[in-house]
Amino acid sequence: MDTMFVNLGPQHPSTHGVLRMGLTLAGEVITKAVPDIGYLHRGTEKLMEARSYAQCVVLTDRWDYCSAMPNNLAFCLSAEKLLGTQVPPRAQTLRVVMCELNRIASHLIFLGTYGIDIGAFTPFLYVFREREMILDLYEALCGARLTYNYIRLGGVASDVDADWISKCREFLEFFKPRVDEYDTLLSFNPIFLARTKEVGLISQSAAVSWGLSGPNLRGSGVSYDVRKSEPYCGYEAYDFDVPVGEHGSCWDRYFCRVQEMRQSVRIVEQALAKLPEGELSAKVPKIPKPPPGEAYAHVEASRGDLGIFLVSDGGAAPYRIHVRAPCFINLAILQDILVGKKVADVIAVLGSFDIVLGEVDR
Amino acid sequence: MIAYFRLVFRSTWAFVEGLWITLRYLFKPSVTVQYPTEKLVPYDAFRGALLFDPATCIACSLCAKACPSACIALESQVHPETKKRVPKVEWYTLDLGKCNFCGLCQEACPTKPKSVWHGLDYEFAFSNRDEMVRCWKPGFPLAGRVWDPKKKAFRDLESHIPVRDVEARR
Ligand code: SF4
Ligand code: SF4
Repeated sequence: MDTMFVNLGPQHPSTHGVLRMGLTLAGEVITKAVPDIGYLHRGTEKLMEARSYAQCVVLTDRWDYCSAMPNNLAFCLSAEKLLGTQVPPRAQTLRVVMCELNRIASHLIFLGTYGIDIGAFTPFLYVFREREMILDLYEALCGARLTYNYIRLGGVASDVDADWISKCREFLEFFKPRVDEYDTLLSFNPIFLARTKEVGLISQSAAVSWGLSGPNLRGSGVSYDVRKSEPYCGYEAYDFDVPVGEHGSCWDRYFCRVQEMRQSVRIVEQALAKLPEGELSAKVPKIPKPPPGEAYAHVEASRGDLGIFLVSDGGAAPYRIHVRAPCFINLAILQDILVGKKVADVIAVLGSFDIVLGEVDR
Repeated sequence: MIAYFRLVFRSTWAFVEGLWITLRYLFKPSVTVQYPTEKLVPYDAFRGALLFDPATCIACSLCAKACPSACIALESQVHPETKKRVPKVEWYTLDLGKCNFCGLCQEACPTKPKSVWHGLDYEFAFSNRDEMVRCWKPGFPLAGRVWDPKKKAFRDLESHIPVRDVEARR
């Protein structure tokens, strides 16, 4: 049969012009898929080599702009390892609260946009209502809704007050029944199930060998979560589960995220309940100059295992920095699993990976 | 046959359930704000357009050093007789086109009250790149002016859409 080459995408809202898929089709069936990334070319890693560590935090906000707090955190953890800084307990707890809220906000975007990918528009409006509430909390706290620059070297930038905490609790109470609504609207909707349940299957071994992480890995049934395996910021003290899927289908990946939102609510509740008093930040020089050496720290960001490798030559700016961006690595498996699928499934599979291209082409 | 009707029933039921949720929201107050006739006032901490006050600035350059995007340039005044620099600013420019609203300049500024700070203004649209470079000089109005590279002079903003319903906060 003759084959045809088709350029598919950019299609997902967060791929805005950066991800193109070169598909070779035999009729409706894909015989070859090449995800072609590029065109963003911001070169953050290079830019950071000319900036002080405190200024680098600002740039980290731009990788995964749907959930910037874990980016801040990963960089700060790595830099703090270099500097040997001890972060005070209050700052640790606030970091956890902010990152978990950000996970909810990020998964909400996924939920809405994935609904759109499959053809359900209404949930998109609902998820933004809830996301806005989280962004309002952020705005009240640190002044920004998208690029927070909140987690800083040695601690966090500003403190929460009683008013903020009560607003945050209000949000959690408002949010909990909403997740059940999403289950009704999407998760157990027969049309949604038909489009996602048996589609885009990734076996455990494939998921591991392609280096997937985050909900994409856990959807295949591998219970790996950095928060459990290498706890940071005191995650070992929180009581939460790591949801895993069964078959590694699009639906499993989707449902992992829904369940993770419930777990994040649990973590935030625990963190707010035990928020210790004390300092917001350790003493860090204005322009820190860590001793020569290297450090690696990773966190469980909303989209997977985000790692930062830092090399210092003793100067005020990092000598070299490398980002292990989960979205970039999650994308590679597409060329494997799309082969043999129908065109209509490409959208469902791509959407289920929840990519943010800011992180793919840093 | 039974399976077919079961599928029809299940799908219809899911449809009704979904509609029921939508219907419930239909009678709740809307969360949409009718922008621009209705506006939200940001929280106090909001990092909006930067403002600058040449009267309090001591021309220490800490803000320019803190800025990761190199948006800020300034020059201090020179004493007419001794020709020595004095802690007063001669001019101060800030490139809003490069600014990423991180707040580091505001944090670095040592004066009280801050000489450079984020206002609450979030409505600023420009039609050309030059207008994003705002300049402040002692005696100029708070919102700053534009340096016109062709005429080598300052001029008022023309195409900037200044909607200043939100009060400047310090
Ligand atoms: S807000 Fe940040 S980027 Fe903008 S001028 Fe201040 S320091 Fe520079
Ligand atoms: S604005 Fe503040 S930090 Fe910048 S030069 Fe003036 S006094 Fe110094």
